[in-house]
Amino acid sequence: MSASKGPAPQGAPAKAATLSPAEAGYKPHYLLNRSRNTLLTLAGLALVAVILFFVDSSGGTKMQQVFALFAIWGIATVSLNLVNGVTGILSLGHHGFMLIGGYVTGLLILPQAARDNLSASARSSLSDFAIGLSVENWMRALGLDFLATPETLWARFLIAVFIGGLMAALFGIVVGFPSLRLRGDYLAIVTFAFGEAIRLLASTPMMASFTNGALGFAGVPSEFGKSVWWTFGLLSIAVFVMARLKYSSYGRALQGIREDEIAAEAMGVHTAYHKVLAFAISAFFAGVAGGLWVSWVGTARLDLFLFFLTFYFLVAISVGGTGSITGALIGTALVVWVRQYGDPLEQSYPLSTWVLALGCVLLAVALIAFLVRRHKRLKPVTGPVVLGPLVLGVLAVGFGLFGTEMTALQQSWQGFGMRAITLAILLIAIMILRPAGVMGRKEFSWAMLFRERLDEPTDEERRQDAWLSNAALAASLAGDDEEEDADENGGAV
Amino acid sequence: MSAISSTAKRKRAWLPWAIGLGLVGLIVWRMFYLYSINPAFNGAFFAGAFVRSFQLGSLYALIALGYTMVYGIIRLINFAHGEVFMVGAFAAYFLFTLTPLALPVAIIVALIVTYGFMQILNFWRGSMTDPLVLAGGALAFITVTIALASTTLGWLAAMVASMFVTGVLGVTIDRVAYRPLRGAPRNSMLITAIAVSFFLQNFGILAFSNRQTPFRPPSFWTGPLQFEVLGETLFTSWMVVLVPMVTAVLVVALTLFVTRTRLGKAMRATAQDAETARMMGVNVDRVIATTFLLGSMLAAAAAVMWGMTFGSINQPAIFGILPGIKAFAAAVIGGIGSLPGAVVGGVLLGFLENFLTALFPRTQSFAGITEYKDTFAFVAMILILLVRPSGIIGEDLSEKV
Repeated sequence: MSASKGPAPQGAPAKAATLSPAEAGYKPHYLLNRSRNTLLTLAGLALVAVILFFVDSSGGTKMQQVFALFAIWGIATVSLNLVNGVTGILSLGHHGFMLIGGYVTGLLILPQAARDNLSASARSSLSDFAIGLSVENWMRALGLDFLATPETLWARFLIAVFIGGLMAALFGIVVGFPSLRLRGDYLAIVTFAFGEAIRLLASTPMMASFTNGALGFAGVPSEFGKSVWWTFGLLSIAVFVMARLKYSSYGRALQGIREDEIAAEAMGVHTAYHKVLAFAISAFFAGVAGGLWVSWVGTARLDLFLFFLTFYFLVAISVGGTGSITGALIGTALVVWVRQYGDPLEQSYPLSTWVLALGCVLLAVALIAFLVRRHKRLKPVTGPVVLGPLVLGVLAVGFGLFGTEMTALQQSWQGFGMRAITLAILLIAIMILRPAGVMGRKEFSWAMLFRERLDEPTDEERRQDAWLSNAALAASLAGDDEEEDADENGGAV
Repeated sequence: MSAISSTAKRKRAWLPWAIGLGLVGLIVWRMFYLYSINPAFNGAFFAGAFVRSFQLGSLYALIALGYTMVYGIIRLINFAHGEVFMVGAFAAYFLFTLTPLALPVAIIVALIVTYGFMQILNFWRGSMTDPLVLAGGALAFITVTIALASTTLGWLAAMVASMFVTGVLGVTIDRVAYRPLRGAPRNSMLITAIAVSFFLQNFGILAFSNRQTPFRPPSFWTGPLQFEVLGETLFTSWMVVLVPMVTAVLVVALTLFVTRTRLGKAMRATAQDAETARMMGVNVDRVIATTFLLGSMLAAAAAVMWGMTFGSINQPAIFGILPGIKAFAAAVIGGIGSLPGAVVGGVLLGFLENFLTALFPRTQSFAGITEYKDTFAFVAMILILLVRPSGIIGEDLSEKV
């Protein structure tokens, strides 16, 4: 589903000590099969376009909404990945940035009819100034009347989203400043506090004249947030920017900060500037995602911007692989899938079914714990962690299968919250069993798809490695390595 | 060199006193000023704000102790602590509304409570298979089963039972989610803690109900209390007496445990240096489990007090978040990792939220700051972290290279 990216240059060319890479017959991997990769990239993009075309032409179905939601949350995840994955700062305030972007965008493109409703409503606390804030009015004031017509709503939407992103980026800079003094989990908790404080402040009288308190405002045009072309277009911009950034000097500086901040500083990286920059860029795209999200829902409300958003993005990043854009998109696909197609989990079933499901989960936990303990050669292999879930699981399965006659187990129970529970269990399991996620820090590339070993050393490199690591060999070869090199050279070229 | 620094220290010893007295002076002046513009802001008004601040602060202190203990031992912000608090409130609620329970349910609940009780006995005997622990467990199991199946529990019994339930929950969380991650990067542990918190929130929605629940156990303490302050009558409830009392008893018990017992000593050793403590023969995993047990028990006590104070408990999805994050802020303000720091920070936060809003009340010309009080904790925490990251009474936690 992910918009495919061209093979990006990654990794330094292999070390060829005595010969230049070209002389040794070495080609950096991004030059291998270059035309094939370009063709495949174009074909992939065309395939995505065809899929999007079919989804779009299916017209207002659930599939369309799911695709749009994937793209919107994908923008947010990819932007969170810049701070959490690439820079290594655990930021938990992403829903706050999205709130700012969402409310600004929503207010700026709110149609005149919705504004009239709001100003007529007795419960509305929007001020006249806020009701007058609209890109349409600005365009009229600037004399650009052709940008104030219903046909050019798209241009106003773009302007509004851009301004929303900029406002969010401003707050990103503010939130980034504590990162200069704080590290690790202190910083995480401060970003979390900022995110919550933004939401709490938005409902206070101070900001209610702009946000309309807890009521929010309805009637935001939803043709952009629900259109796959708009959302995927902005997603591809976000992915493109993030990918270029990751492999630029800025990106390498950010990755240096992730690996070792002090070492990065010693190497001349201006850590303060780079950290605040990462926050600002991340917040900008979060604001854009917030604008689309408000448009997707059609209203700007405070309960759209709870902590669960950041949690979902965190799940997506962790599952996909912290620091990998591809991984972030894979994780987003999973999260959106569970959220949009997880309804069967939340329906009403008899209690015996739930007990049976619980028993199966417990048995799975026991099995995994057993395998892990055996793999780690822990003794005893069947510790309490294995036996406890095993006994409870067998009991639960027994009750679920054979207790259907018991009246207590025949009541039905609605599984509210099961989707979130599933994601939470998934996140815990990923953190314990495979902390690197599916992709690790790797990105998608065609070579990876065809299982080309890019890091496989050439014969020349093998010879040099043997030569370097074996002192006796080094001594014996010290005299005649020149002619051997020449032989090898001739063979290779 | 040392002479200079010691004189500098001696010179500045008056500074905290000066700041404190100055603040008290400003507050008194502000109170008189308010009284002069509106007689409604009289002694009873401020006395009421004072006792309520102390009450709320005690609650924050109880929750903050759990955060600070866990952080002191394994350097983990236990995000799930607020949700443990929520589970404690709901466990107590079901214990005093649904009892007497049907026998099978009573046996299951009694098993959980007994396990927690045996963990407590374990502090004293040091082994779960010790005959005395087993005997105590068996006795407790029979007693608790009979009690649950035959009578309606009062608030105190419900609180104690719910403390054991959440204690077991805390130990389970540690065993299932955190122990496999010992030695993992701290961000991984923090993300896991967030996941556990999210899990418990939604488990609360699934298992309890997603609405506000009244929390009114029949009790003398929730009844009205009125007394005279400077000629004006203050109407309040006996809870303003009970909450600080319960807090004081629990804090004293915790302090005695940490300072006077072998396991408490092991706990302090682990907090100082887990590796060395392990080499000295301390069972670090047991110490950590104990920490989770104690912290979660305090959270349940705070939850019952919270419910009785406010008369209702919020929806499980959001009940634990704000108290939890505010108590964490209190722990940071006091100095995370320090027990007195958590108490001081909690009480201070209570005053910040209640007394400060009383000092700036709604008047004709001013809208008041009550709507903003939820953000005070965050602002105070961010300021403290930026100015003095070790907190008011905290050890220096600045990271070394």
